Amino acid sequence: MDVKYINPFIAAAQTVFKSMLAIDVKMGKPIIKNKGVASGDVTGIMGLVGDRKGTLCISFHERGALFVFKTLIGDECDKLGPEVVDAIGELTNIISGQARKEFEQAGVNLSAAIPMVVVGKNTEMNFITAIPIISLPFSFSVNNGDHETMYLDFSFE
Amino acid sequence: MRVLVVDDFATMRKIVKNVLKQINLDNVVEAENGKHALSVLNEDSVDLIISDWMMPEMTGIEFLKVCKGDEEKKKIPFIMVTAEGQKDSVMEAIKSGVDNYIVKPFTPEKLKEAIDKARARVGK
Repeated sequence: MDVKYINPFIAAAQTVFKSMLAIDVKMGKPIIKNKGVASGDVTGIMGLVGDRKGTLCISFHERGALFVFKTLIGDECDKLGPEVVDAIGELTNIISGQARKEFEQAGVNLSAAIPMVVVGKNTEMNFITAIPIISLPFSFSVNNGDHETMYLDFSFE
Repeated sequence: MRVLVVDDFATMRKIVKNVLKQINLDNVVEAENGKHALSVLNEDSVDLIISDWMMPEMTGIEFLKVCKGDEEKKKIPFIMVTAEGQKDSVMEAIKSGVDNYIVKPFTPEKLKEAIDKARARVGK
């Protein structure tokens, strides 16, 4: 996959975390996945269509999702309830919007639908492309210096 | 300062409220669309409106047009929020008298700057 189709997703994740959450994320080593399985416990999914087509997923493990919820909304939550699910959906929406803006600057016009969020480990997902899925792990610091990961998985052609 | 936050998505209203809190604006009233916001404005006094664009029943742009066509409501600084740089929509909002707009994602500092500019525009 051409790097010009990867960089907008990286920039979008970093920009949104920095601006909406005041969190600096650090990208780890990308992984290529051959099977559409959610990387975390709660996953926001957004289809992208236009000059190209693909699927974008934003996935967290439970602790990371609860930390993001607390930072984004300002409320405490101790389980993956509807409020957390909605917040991950909105975060997916904002990251997708930022990615579309980055793509537009690279001359690729895309539009998106309403995000969907699934909860559960190893949830199978059908990406709308035939090519492998690229999973970008972004590490961020949570309480007591521990780290959590946001997975930005996408397949784009 | 009392702020009216208009968005059909409760989570987004909470996010905006949380950002407002970070710039010491915690007197917030909420509405879920333009129609609901107008009924709030008819019963309550607010100093600033922050509205989403796409909402059922009455969109942000329709709500803006009603506000800017009213002698009293047009004095309230009006900021539109969008998820991406929708140039056509932004142009329509500017023509309709929006006092400022802000594109998600935004920092508390960016929102404060947008609020200050919007308030200055209406002389507040």
